[in-house]
Amino acid sequence: MKLFKRKSIPREEQGIVNTTPEQTVRAFLNAFQLRDVEAALSVVDKSVRVEIFPLDVREGGFDDIRTALTDIVTAFPDLHLVIKDVIETGSVVTAELKVEGTQAADYAGAVNQEKHLDVDQAWRFTVDGDHIVGIHVYWCQNQLYRRLAVKRLDQIAIV
Amino acid sequence: MVAAFFEAYSRHDVETMTEMCTDNADFSYVPYEVWGKQRVLRGDGKVRTVGKVIWSGLINSFPDLFNVVHSIDANDKGDVVVMCDIGGTQQSPWGFAAPKGGRFSEPHLFIFHVDENGLIDKIKAYWNGAGINRQLGHLEVD
Repeated sequence: MKLFKRKSIPREEQGIVNTTPEQTVRAFLNAFQLRDVEAALSVVDKSVRVEIFPLDVREGGFDDIRTALTDIVTAFPDLHLVIKDVIETGSVVTAELKVEGTQAADYAGAVNQEKHLDVDQAWRFTVDGDHIVGIHVYWCQNQLYRRLAVKRLDQIAIV
Repeated sequence: MVAAFFEAYSRHDVETMTEMCTDNADFSYVPYEVWGKQRVLRGDGKVRTVGKVIWSGLINSFPDLFNVVHSIDANDKGDVVVMCDIGGTQQSPWGFAAPKGGRFSEPHLFIFHVDENGLIDKIKAYWNGAGINRQLGHLEVD
């Protein structure tokens, strides 16, 4: 006869959550849609590797993704993020987004002229457990500059 | 199939690339835009029309066009995501970029869908066109 019985502790209370990679990424994207940078970053590992090719961020880290999210949310306070597709391929999750908004502050060197932005982007995430450990971001900066009325790549800040 | 597609691309074998796709395969090179006075030409359509023309044009303008595949990730629904670099040395005009002998290499993301017959029925690609233009010495935002 057992004198003691081990109490079953739910996995959630043990800190173990069965979150799929897609769920982790959707948590990030949903927070991004709400323009809640800190909530988005809550599912990003502190050692995350970040590549944002249009912003020339190579081998970046946590601070780089924080800066990127903060900058776009600040420059486009009416940011409207449309999640077009989310593709889970093992631990890699790829999201296709349309980013829309009206400029209210300088962004990526482009002077604020209150132009409207609508740029298609692809974000490729690598997930480990319930955290994002890799982010690769793709969009065409030429498209973005064209929408923001930038005429030359070597004179971005000149109107 | 997707790995073989990039092998054919590296050989500049557009016919084989096309034959790996269904007759009605969708094609979307998202950053591709050519702005005119009254209309915008986009890289959207079908592989056998828009895709084939773009690939042939790229190879003509960049005779040493190459690709370096970094990762291929797939699921059992037929989705395939590829990270690669594509580059080459310009010998002929490409879009509004005049040939100056410049060389580019730029990260690309491709998203494919492969059907139940093992043929590609969707190709979508993203890259930073500004990065390419800077490398080619073309600084106008056309």
